[in-house]
Amino acid sequence: MPFPNLTAQQVQQAVPDAAGIVFLDKGGQKIVFSCTINGKPYALKILQPRLRPLMREQSGDVGADPISIDDVTARAQREVATMKQCDTPHLVKIGPIEMRTIQIDGEDLLCFSEELIDGRPLNKLLTQSGPLSPAEVIELGQNIATAIDALWRQRKIHRDVKPGNIMRRQAGGFVLLDLGLVFDLNDESYSVGPVGTQVYFSPEQMDFANRRQVLDFRSDLFSLGITMYQMATGIHPFAANASSSWDVLNNIRNLQPQRPHQVKSEIPEALSDIIMRLLGKRPSLRFRSIRKLQQAFADAAGEGGE
Amino acid sequence: MLLAQAGFGRGDKVHTALSEDLIGGVILSPKDERRDRLEECVSELRADYGDASIMVDPQFYVTTVSVPRDGRLPEYDYYADHAPLSRTQFSPKQIGRYVSACLGYQNAVPGLSYILSPSVLFDDFRDSWSQIALNMAEASIDYHAGLGNAPPLLITVVTSELALRNATGMGEFLDALSGLEVDGFYLLVNRSSSSYQAALDTRAMENLMYFVHVLAHLNEYQVVVGYSDWIGFLLHAAGASATATGWHQSLRQFSMARFEPADGGRRPRKRYSSTPLLSNPLIVPELEDIYGADRLSDVLSGSPHDSILRGGPAVGEARWTDEIGCLAHWAAVGRAIDRIEAQRRPAAKLNTAVQLIDAARSLYDRLLSRGVNFDPQTGPDHLASWRDSVSAFRHTAGI
Repeated sequence: MPFPNLTAQQVQQAVPDAAGIVFLDKGGQKIVFSCTINGKPYALKILQPRLRPLMREQSGDVGADPISIDDVTARAQREVATMKQCDTPHLVKIGPIEMRTIQIDGEDLLCFSEELIDGRPLNKLLTQSGPLSPAEVIELGQNIATAIDALWRQRKIHRDVKPGNIMRRQAGGFVLLDLGLVFDLNDESYSVGPVGTQVYFSPEQMDFANRRQVLDFRSDLFSLGITMYQMATGIHPFAANASSSWDVLNNIRNLQPQRPHQVKSEIPEALSDIIMRLLGKRPSLRFRSIRKLQQAFADAAGEGGE
Repeated sequence: MLLAQAGFGRGDKVHTALSEDLIGGVILSPKDERRDRLEECVSELRADYGDASIMVDPQFYVTTVSVPRDGRLPEYDYYADHAPLSRTQFSPKQIGRYVSACLGYQNAVPGLSYILSPSVLFDDFRDSWSQIALNMAEASIDYHAGLGNAPPLLITVVTSELALRNATGMGEFLDALSGLEVDGFYLLVNRSSSSYQAALDTRAMENLMYFVHVLAHLNEYQVVVGYSDWIGFLLHAAGASATATGWHQSLRQFSMARFEPADGGRRPRKRYSSTPLLSNPLIVPELEDIYGADRLSDVLSGSPHDSILRGGPAVGEARWTDEIGCLAHWAAVGRAIDRIEAQRRPAAKLNTAVQLIDAARSLYDRLLSRGVNFDPQTGPDHLASWRDSVSAFRHTAGI
């Protein structure tokens, strides 16, 4: 069912405690507005639940009883819960409207607010301003690794780390957005197939059937590696010469990309080494802890990344 | 660091070797020690050598041998209460019992540097035994976390030359191991041949180096490889933090045959451990032939005991006791490891390993050209195999 075209006025009527509603963006099953609540700026996310509840057997989990709610609602609840659990400036935070059902044109929709980031997403930044400096790439790595760590402390994996989901704040620093695809190793799965953005998949993310066995935070580290490579060199390591998504996935599994400092000589070798470690084809070839990755970032920063 | 792999007939060798700085510690063997003697030994060593690495290999893997030659192991409750075990006796609850008994015992022995987890042997990285080994590792980590001030934990991994030769599923297994929150690993490789062979299968050796490299170098775990003998210097080059070797041939390479009924054996002929040759030539006739060719000094390792043989190996053989042979062996193997450990970067360690191999090969060639004959077990064949393994490993690891 297509997402209804909502106007700011309709949203204003449905969410009277929000003011100054302005359309921001629209995705597959969500529409985002900016607003103010109690005088402070927030993003207001509106989602359209599905009509049918998700069956556990669809998600690949044991049993066939219904989860009682549809997957969009279940994911939204997890997104809100995750934002509440994780306390780091590098993950987007929940706003005052935590989760509610609203009615617009007789249709039930879900709505919650989250921190409105004053900044630009990295995909736009790359298009408009080109690659980041090595020092900025290290800071990007440090900040997003902190966000991945905060999620993993809750046994959660983001599964969609990519430039489009990372904002650089106007005031400095990077924030990871969109926790809608978070995979919770302690909870049920809401997916019936691989989710995320294919060109930022880790090799093990393609092994959907075994996701509980093969996925951990190191999958997000791989996606961070692609993001850092791209933000450092301006080139996607696996998509540059690919003519189809199958090519990209094949490259993710098999291609050893050129080392970043060989693409762009200003990139210090130490940073290049970290990015290549993150792009290890197997989790065991990456970093076994965020602490060790952060140490590597600190060493690289000390060696001229800053 | 070189460790003594203890077995039957420990005597004073370990004390002497520690006092002479030939080894950095010991891995004790419950199969070969009365329980009270083992605990006394730990206590004495800890009192006399405060910095020594002292561990007990619990040898839990012997529980799966149907008719075991388990020596003193039945004196240890963690073994006696559970052995023998079949594949169906490793439910999570049962594993929990084995783990708590095994770790609980070691935690109650004061003076140990590490606690070693119980494990089982597997011949395939994807078979059900390997999954049992992983389940035991996870249960050990959970149990250890509740022990409070216990010594750090090393997870025991008992794989085989067969598994390493094939290596199917090794990547997935490493992914699982490298996700564990633990200090490190105690690694044993069951050799395909129960008689001593200096070299593993070339491909198995390459994969063993890669296995150690991923855990030790990339993931910064402590990796202790037991029963490694001469290949220890190659494993140090791949990142191992310690390797071990003992005084009998059966303590110099790991074989489950050590825990199975044996026919008995004859007393081994005396050998000399040569760092320049990276092997153990027979004192008579091989070392005597080298002496006759006036090249003895080329093969000596520089151990204080070399003087016994300088006047002629055949003449000195009677004074070359088992204990001296053992201390000289640790000195010789340790010198090769020290050469590797003097380097900091992985590439430099591997370069040094290759230099040692190439120098040994050249020395063999010179000796062969002078008419010295070697027994197949002492000849240079292992060097080519090691060289090939190192090259293949470097290619795979990108070093």
